[in-house]
Amino acid sequence: MNQSVIPKTKQNKKTAVYFVWVGVFFLCIAGMISGLYYSTIKIDYVWRWYRIPQYFAFKEKIEIKSQIDGKITDISLKDGKAVITVKTEREDKTIDIPEGDLKVSKGDFVYPGYILASQENWKPGILMQGLWLTIEVSLISTLLGILIGLFGGLARLSSNPAFKWFSITYIEIIRGSPLLVQIFIWYFVLGTLINTILSKYGISSIPPLWYGVAALACFTGAYVAEIVRAGIQSIHRGQVEASRSLGMTYAQSMRYVILPQALRRILPPLAGQFISLIKDSSLLGIIAVRELSKATREVVTTSLQPFELWFVCALLYLFLTFTLSMFVQYLERRTAV
Amino acid sequence: MIEVQNVYKTFLVPHIVQALINVSCKIEAGEVVVVIGPSGSGKSTLLRCLNHLETADSGKIFIEGIDILDPKTDINKLRAEVGMVFQSFNLFPHKNVFENITLAQKIVRRRTKTEAADKAFSLLNKVGIKDKANVYPDQLSGGQQQRVAIARALAMDPKIMLFDEPTSALDPEMIGEVLEVMKNLAREGMTMVVVTHEMGFAKEVADRVIFMDMGAIVEEGTPEHFFTSPVNERTKLFLSQIL
Repeated sequence: MNQSVIPKTKQNKKTAVYFVWVGVFFLCIAGMISGLYYSTIKIDYVWRWYRIPQYFAFKEKIEIKSQIDGKITDISLKDGKAVITVKTEREDKTIDIPEGDLKVSKGDFVYPGYILASQENWKPGILMQGLWLTIEVSLISTLLGILIGLFGGLARLSSNPAFKWFSITYIEIIRGSPLLVQIFIWYFVLGTLINTILSKYGISSIPPLWYGVAALACFTGAYVAEIVRAGIQSIHRGQVEASRSLGMTYAQSMRYVILPQALRRILPPLAGQFISLIKDSSLLGIIAVRELSKATREVVTTSLQPFELWFVCALLYLFLTFTLSMFVQYLERRTAV
Repeated sequence: MIEVQNVYKTFLVPHIVQALINVSCKIEAGEVVVVIGPSGSGKSTLLRCLNHLETADSGKIFIEGIDILDPKTDINKLRAEVGMVFQSFNLFPHKNVFENITLAQKIVRRRTKTEAADKAFSLLNKVGIKDKANVYPDQLSGGQQQRVAIARALAMDPKIMLFDEPTSALDPEMIGEVLEVMKNLAREGMTMVVVTHEMGFAKEVADRVIFMDMGAIVEEGTPEHFFTSPVNERTKLFLSQIL
């Protein structure tokens, strides 16, 4: 609550030497960037940044073409819809056209293929879709990971050997094997089993996205469980004793006294864990989940602009992780006493 | 009101210590009993056994006729009737003074917001810090924190109050204000068991003094008996060292 202002002393007064080193920092950064740029020029790489935005959003053109021959005798507008009446050799025909720019007027002769109206719609590009999927996967996995981690951490501290050993086994297996292997097991082993059994009962199979989410949530849950355990253990024994001596049950003491204090302490390591989760979601591309990295890879193969695209991809991840870390810092400030 | 029969307690961690050896005592309703003794004599362990923060290894403990070592006893219900004040206060640092006092009232006693608030303010008034309701514990002095802790325990309307060295962590000038609250409580007829090193308090308020050493009750009696004509050699030695 009270953030004391550090008084300006001689030590934190900025000297000339300080600014020299600030200059060194920016020079090094600029040097690295221009070094990279000139090496790409050397290998004749052509930077085409202008081609990148279309992968975020593009204008889709829809054209409505005439199927018949004839003369337009009437155009009436109602409720944003246009009704065109065309007089053909044999009869009058009306064509309904949904809202959009009309390209014809009364008296025009139309023939099959003649464009009656065209419409332009903004559509999200493949990178945008990938980014959205990454956000979605990370969000669901984070929420599930918190749940698994919370109960995993509590079970880890339980005196009941079943709970405790389940938790230890889970944590050790998950932390001791690579995430990539876990994703393979979730999709190719468990996924095959579950989907085959489901299809035997005539139920449609679960898409790979959900196996990916399960793998990420389980992976994160194990780390969160250890963070939660450490957080609870860092709260002084006296807090439990005080709350229990007032007649609170174990659950009430956890809910109202221990966890609120522990949560405040574990926010920084939790943030680190969830930032890792966002980055780890890039592995889901291998099981055909078209998240940001997979989407970038696909765009690279069609556009042949790998340099721009991979930088953009990295920046998008940075945007996600930075937003998350800002949000957690805000939470930390808000819960600080 | 409290009956302790042949209680044994041994700690195995970090090393084997026989904390209580065949301890028996009886405390009547309205009695103020002060437990004194050198450190490591088992007086805190005895106190903590009374509300089951420690589980006695063998023997029997009855609180108002209820066997607290019986696994069928609802220990949370019992603890709500036995208030406890700790040496290190143990206030909830994430809650302000008012919330510290109302939390258990609401979730354990199931009182309404207004009932709990009325109780909290009357108790804050009683312990003399009614203007600190919205302050967080770390902004209070040790003496004020301990008085809040006493108010928090009293808010449950306990039948018995246990004090575990309530003034040992306080600066000398703050001991008086806490003892004053405890004296008032004793005058109102609260059943109290107090582990303390404050001999003045023992002399003035105690109905009975229990002296413990090496996990056993060595001598017990009225303060007059205890401070003027102790019988046991160990008691005499202890008193000569501290008085």
